This record gives sequence, C-alpha cells and structure tokens, in this order.
Amino acid sequence: MSIETRWKLIRFFITALSMFGLWLIFTASFELFSLVTGLGGSFFVAALTYEIFIPRHQAGINFFVPRPFHLILYLFLMIFFIYKSSIAVLVAVVTGQVNPRIVHFRTPLKSDMARMVLANSITMTPGTITLDLNDDHLTVHWFFSTTSHSKVAGNEVKGEIERHLKKVWL
Amino acid sequence: MSIREILAAIAFLAAVIFGVAGLAGLFRFPDPYSRLQAGSLLGTTSVLSIFIGTLLLSPNGAVAARVVVIMLFFLISSPTGSHIVARFTWNIGTHPWRPKSEEKKNQGKTGKGKDEAAPEENP
Repeated sequence: MSIETRWKLIRFFITALSMFGLWLIFTASFELFSLVTGLGGSFFVAALTYEIFIPRHQAGINFFVPRPFHLILYLFLMIFFIYKSSIAVLVAVVTGQVNPRIVHFRTPLKSDMARMVLANSITMTPGTITLDLNDDHLTVHWFFSTTSHSKVAGNEVKGEIERHLKKVWL
Repeated sequence: MSIREILAAIAFLAAVIFGVAGLAGLFRFPDPYSRLQAGSLLGTTSVLSIFIGTLLLSPNGAVAARVVVIMLFFLISSPTGSHIVARFTWNIGTHPWRPKSEEKKNQGKTGKGKDEAAPEENP
C-alpha cells in the first residue's frame, strides 16, 4: 500500500467516524436500524466529502485531531473569555470610551485547524475582529487598542488563547 | 422554582441585557468595524446565554448533548459570519474610525487606512 493510499484511507475513516459520532448524538438511539442507517449514511457522505473535510496537504493526524482533555478545557476557557469580553464591550457601549485601531501580527501555530480556531477565537474574545488571515499573518481590528507595536499587540490580543491552543492542536 | 430554573432565568436575563446592549452598540458607533464589534460579540453572547439556559432546563442527557452540539456549531459559525463581513469591508478599503481626541493628536497621519498599517507587517 502506497503512502498516498494510506493517507486517503486515514482521512476517509476519520471523516466517517466524526459523522457517525454526530449521528449518534443527534438521534440518541441505539436501535439496530438507526445504527445501520447512520453508519451507511456517514460512510457515503465521507466518501464524497473527505477531500474537503481534511485537505490532502495536512501533514499528520495531530494537525486536525484535537487532544480531547485540552479541547474541553479550551472550550470552557473560551466561554469564560467570551463573557469577560462581552462585559467589557457592554461597558464600552454605555460609556463610549473606545480606541479602535488596526494591528498586524504573526502566529507561531502550525496547522490550518489551529490557525482557524485562533482567528475565530480572536473574533470573539477581547474586543477584536480578525479581518484577514494570510498563512501566519493576522490583520486584526482591535477595539481597545493600547499600542500599534506588532509584537506587543500580538501578545495582548492572542497571548493567552494561543498558549492554550498550542496544547490542543500541534 | 428549583435551583435549575432560577439559574436558567438568570441566563435568560443576561441574554436579554446583552442583546439590547448589542442593538444599542449597532446604532451608537459610526463605522462598520465598531458596529460589528458590538453587534457580533454581544449577539453571540446573547444567543450563547440562551443555549446555556436551555442546557440547564434540558430534561435528560440526550437533549443536553444535542444542545451542546448546537452550541459548538454556533460558536464556529457566528464569528465566521462576522469575520466575512469585516473582511469584505477591509478589502474595499474602508478606513477605521478614530475617536476625535486622537485625530487631533496626529493630524495628517490618519485616514490612510491600509497604507498606514502596512509597514507594521514586517517585524
């Protein structure tokens, strides 16, 4: 078996497994008919879409399969961050004390998945919106900016999120 | 009322407060970016609070698991949506708004938008 075929099979099975997991959660029944239909359906959909779900250029399994414990920890942390920043924005809406500015910085995260999650987390958390993600270069609109220095701004916007995200994906 | 219902009511109340503030922020700020900041973030928090309230009220584990999955999908889709709006605003070259006091300080420097920010790209 060539390495290309093996990689295809791995991607196909991971796609099918995640589809089947979602099916189990949404149907929440363990009857034989439901299980067989779900398995057949998820394999069919996985055969059609595994190229899109996990692109060919991903280098390894650790690039898109998260470490479960750290993922759950990260989710709870995200919810806490969302509420914290919401209260900050709520205060800003009432008082009008804002200093919006556009900043640029880079991220050391390697995988596409981690970068996508970082961009989405930045959009949600400390009063920032990701305008552009170009490989490892982020353009961010920062609502409460204190500096326009690239490295300092990067540390303040993504520092804590990134440190936790490094543990979830490679 | 049980303790679960009281907690759910608090979550719903938080949702109402965040939603109203988001709507107010949408009209309060002058440029698209700042409006998106208020609208998208507070909107997300509002819907998230409603989901947390429903999670507290869910009768069994199966329903709760579904709510969690919907929450996850919402946490992916909502920032992606606001990012796309912001990205197109950025790509057509809209300048970000600066507060008045800042504008006076560095006159002649503002209003360049992309060009002003460009040199910061290279560390």
